[in-house]
Amino acid sequence: MKNFFNIFKKEVKELLTKQLLLGLVFMMVMFGIMGHFIGGIEGEEAKPINLAVLDLDKSSYSENILETLSKQENLIMERITEADTQKAIVQAKEKGNKVLLVIPENLEKNIKEMKRTDLEIYSIIEAIGIKGMKAFSGSALNLGINSVSKGISTGFIKEAFPDKNPESIINPLNINEFVVVKDKINPGSPAIIAGLIISQSIMIPVILMMLILYAGGTVMTSMASEKENKTLETLLTLPVKRISIIIGKMSGAAVVALMMAAVFLGGFRYYTSSVVPSALDGGTILENLGLTMTPLSYILLGISLFLAILIALAGCMILGMFAQDTKSAQTLNMPIVLLVMIPYFLLMFQDIGTLSLPMKMFVYAIPFAHPIIASKALLFGDYSMVLGGIVYMVIFAVAIMYLAVKLFNTDKILTAKFSIRIFKRQKNLN
Amino acid sequence: MTKALEVENLVKDYGDFRALKGISFEVNQGEIFGLIGPNAAGKTTALRIISTLLRITSGQVKVFGYDVAKQADEVRKTISYLPEEAGAYKNLSGKNYLEFIAEFYSENKQEKIELLDKGIELAKLGERLKNKVNTYSKGMTRRLLVARALMISPQLAILDEPTSGLDVIISQEIRGIIKGFVRQGTTVLLSSHNMLEVDFLCDRIALINQGEIIETGLPRELKERYQAKNIEEVFIKAIR
Repeated sequence: MKNFFNIFKKEVKELLTKQLLLGLVFMMVMFGIMGHFIGGIEGEEAKPINLAVLDLDKSSYSENILETLSKQENLIMERITEADTQKAIVQAKEKGNKVLLVIPENLEKNIKEMKRTDLEIYSIIEAIGIKGMKAFSGSALNLGINSVSKGISTGFIKEAFPDKNPESIINPLNINEFVVVKDKINPGSPAIIAGLIISQSIMIPVILMMLILYAGGTVMTSMASEKENKTLETLLTLPVKRISIIIGKMSGAAVVALMMAAVFLGGFRYYTSSVVPSALDGGTILENLGLTMTPLSYILLGISLFLAILIALAGCMILGMFAQDTKSAQTLNMPIVLLVMIPYFLLMFQDIGTLSLPMKMFVYAIPFAHPIIASKALLFGDYSMVLGGIVYMVIFAVAIMYLAVKLFNTDKILTAKFSIRIFKRQKNLN
Repeated sequence: MTKALEVENLVKDYGDFRALKGISFEVNQGEIFGLIGPNAAGKTTALRIISTLLRITSGQVKVFGYDVAKQADEVRKTISYLPEEAGAYKNLSGKNYLEFIAEFYSENKQEKIELLDKGIELAKLGERLKNKVNTYSKGMTRRLLVARALMISPQLAILDEPTSGLDVIISQEIRGIIKGFVRQGTTVLLSSHNMLEVDFLCDRIALINQGEIIETGLPRELKERYQAKNIEEVFIKAIR
């Protein structure tokens, strides 16, 4: 235990360099700036749209539309007195209006003849970008026009059927959706529930991926730098068990990676919360349906995540043995990254149950898939699936750790590398 | 006389290449034994096997009676290995590095402090010990590594080219340190292709060439046998 702590301490000291700490601070600042900037853009969404209107009809109907629009929030209306659309566009540009609404001259006539009229909306684009495009999100304009349109329809219906509710004629069919989970029923659509579950469980694969990428990369770099700095031979001749070296290195890398992942995730969360300020408040719906995590679920998910990270670290440690220097180590973690990415993308929007049998077997075989599967299965109380995954991961972890220790006990740790030629190796050894 | 090291018919293959072709030699306790030969003769392979780093293809190696293949953990408690191109952890200070090593060999805090003090004394780096290793010159790093290897007073110190690439002053200093440790009871097995160094340091030597030991004996005896002025001449005559 003393030797393990000694190696762990050394690893943390070695890995926590000034450059890394500076990088973390830089990452935090960058997320802060990005979040602030995006948040600023979102804030601008509330800014009113400068709408120019060219009324070629000049009827009571067109006046009705303009009056309704003038009452809309987030809409500053300005009339343009030109004879045609082209000139109106020029004038709207000059006045700094971003949107031009053209009401054609036959509006009143069409309405009276119960014919459809096409209103024209021109969006004046001068720059492309979220900030610029926000000015065109014409929800206020659409709302106003829809409201007038509905008002006209309602007027006609009321005239023809004075004793009927116009709403029942416009929309004769209405849908009330319910979701049934086990024995619980709650109003709501399956799409909303699925969206809520995805939004709640999306963090698990993200955390897993970040941790594996950071910790895996760190442990690999640590192994590679032992070789590069010629410290590995000394380390391996010290009176310390191989397993202490492996676990000490893995723990050191995991702690540093946790720090990095925490900074990244914290920053990422701040950034995403700036982009999507208020998520759907689906907590109550999920609670009513019993789709929530219990303390036991959290424990099982924690075990599942821990095992996945352990497997990834041991895998990276083995791959790190093949790295000759820190540069080559950066590319060697590709197999692990791929094994994390495949279930990540496959299961992010798809349930394991919907996959074909060979695909299902393939995904089950990847240990990193199990925490992702568990994050959804636990919501539905499917403990057998989660426990099965944990048992599989324990077996996998023991096997891969055994392999790592075995490799540490062989010449491979010093001689293994890709594309070796015997005489070249011999030259290195002497 | 107690044997510090017994090497018997040691063979090491790397795939189809035979790096060691059944070498045998013994090192007595308290002596400095030199394994002498040109580059790629098999010196480093032999030292790595004795240091428990490489596996034996055939033959037997015993360090103070412990079988290297079967009792590697016990062997590691008795040896200290200094590889030819060894480095130290660049982001640690020299002192932190010595502390890291001392921790493995001490049972309590007092022992650790004693080992550390010895390391500091051997390294002779003064205030620079507080600086990170990546600020050290090659000579300073080597001094730190020699201090690391010897501060634990190993029963058997295995030193691969201990003064390789160093200037004459630092080389002399390091040779002096090695001699001093032998007087205190440490046995030294070293490899070198610097024949003058060998002449100065070693009590007995073995000449190794292309994976085979071609001569073993006292430097003086070998010089007489080959009627040579120095070991370099002995080596040239021996391989003809």
